[in-house]
Amino acid sequence: MSFKACSLQDLTPGEGLRIDSVSPPIAIFLTEEGTVHAIDDTCTHQDASLAAGWVEDCRVECPLHESTFSLRTGAVDQPPAKKGVRVHTVELDGDDVLVELSQDAPNLPPGVKI
Amino acid sequence: MPTAALPAEGHLLIVGAGLAGYHTARGVRANGHTGPITIFGEETRPAYDRPALSKAYLTGAVAEEDLLLDDPEDPLDVTWVSGVGVVSLSGNPEGTETLGVHTADGRFHPGDAVVITTGASALSLPVASSEQGISARPYVLRNMEDALALRETSLQGLAVAVVGGGFLALEAAATCTERGAGSVTVAAGEQLPGARRLGTAVGEAILSAHQAHGVQFAPPARAQAVRSCTRGHEVILAAGETITADVVICAIGAKPRTEWLLDSAVQLTSGHGAVMCDDTGATCIPGVYAAGDCAQWASHSSGLRPVGHWQEAVEEAAVVAAALTGADPVPLQEPYFWSDQFDLRIQGAGRIHLADEVTVVDGTPQEGNLLVHYARGGQNLGILGINRLRDVTRWRKQRRIRPAQLHSPAAEHPMTVGSHPTAAETAPTAA
Repeated sequence: MSFKACSLQDLTPGEGLRIDSVSPPIAIFLTEEGTVHAIDDTCTHQDASLAAGWVEDCRVECPLHESTFSLRTGAVDQPPAKKGVRVHTVELDGDDVLVELSQDAPNLPPGVKI
Repeated sequence: MPTAALPAEGHLLIVGAGLAGYHTARGVRANGHTGPITIFGEETRPAYDRPALSKAYLTGAVAEEDLLLDDPEDPLDVTWVSGVGVVSLSGNPEGTETLGVHTADGRFHPGDAVVITTGASALSLPVASSEQGISARPYVLRNMEDALALRETSLQGLAVAVVGGGFLALEAAATCTERGAGSVTVAAGEQLPGARRLGTAVGEAILSAHQAHGVQFAPPARAQAVRSCTRGHEVILAAGETITADVVICAIGAKPRTEWLLDSAVQLTSGHGAVMCDDTGATCIPGVYAAGDCAQWASHSSGLRPVGHWQEAVEEAAVVAAALTGADPVPLQEPYFWSDQFDLRIQGAGRIHLADEVTVVDGTPQEGNLLVHYARGGQNLGILGINRLRDVTRWRKQRRIRPAQLHSPAAEHPMTVGSHPTAAETAPTAA
């Protein structure tokens, strides 16, 4: 079941948008190349919103520390985070960004509960 | 490509199992080093990350295993020698003495390169004449053992005094408040905590958040000593006042752990005893490098970068790893630090210590949304945001500093801001 997370007009190239109508919140990214991605918004290391992170080469760097996550696979490149984030399926319907949430268990940081 | 200081099959010794040591090992492996790597750690614990020791670890929100740097599911291919201190370094600038280290158990470990990442140890206040038999020392927060001791002490209803005006002290004050301390008093040494370094508005924001949670601040006099007696402890301030407390925490800085190098050929700075390095981390002994809190790189002294931030240890490790393996130099970022205190997430970046103008760009000290710019001679040098992650991130990433310099004589001046690559030069490549 997908839901409309936002509209393309809500997105800024190279930046993320936090969607907290779902729990845990997700982040939608529009890359400079024009691709749209959805991943879990919370860094797996510590409670920080990845939507506020820096996007480059289809990866987002956590705004607190050095870990970066692939927007395509959710995989993390280096500590302090060890676990990747979930990737959610994105479909575009006109300007609507439709997201189907992953059924996997989220990798929330220690101390953070849904 | 630069020449590698370490042959790909050579044996790398890393002295110190903290953040800089771990990331050096990780970096050389990522750059293709295939030879053995030995990491010496004085503590018996596996390498861990320290920032949470004054925050989530101290409240119990996270456990020791959450702080481990190495991933048990994807461990680094290294040999850990834990619980054994390294006592001396062998090697000289002429290269005529065998390179290696001696451990406290009497063994000698030869290596093809040595990276010194022994970090720093916490400073504490002198203990003034105490009643006989009372030898309670203040708590410090440097390693996990320190934090564990404080974590295992119930603070419920107790009077806590925190000595120090830096972020570590302020984080400890916030954490103790959250843990139910009866009162928390900070001897910050200034009226507005952090104002001297970060400006009045930031000091006001910090003060306001702490006072809103009941934290008290002692008169702005320097703490001189702590005196212990059967009733508890007294922190003695320069002006003559005292703070009486059940628990005293000292967070007044740290000094490089380099006493084991006093008889070695590496040069230590006269002030703090940090290992003197060029901007690749190289010391005066070929094959010996240093990174992190124990090291002073050439550009530190010329004011380019402050010493002792988490970010700095990670970056220096990457630069050393590149030098060892002959990989291209890693571009340095602006200095960066962060702190979490109550509901304030404070992030600062740039050469704030060189600024002489502080401008509030947005927000107010009372609302937890402050955004401050720092400048010198009209040129923007730094930024600080409170709960402004996006603004700080954008600023940092659009200002990457030049690659580390291979030769960094003392004559080098602080970098001129504004002449560095901007986002345009680091634009994303096609996915």
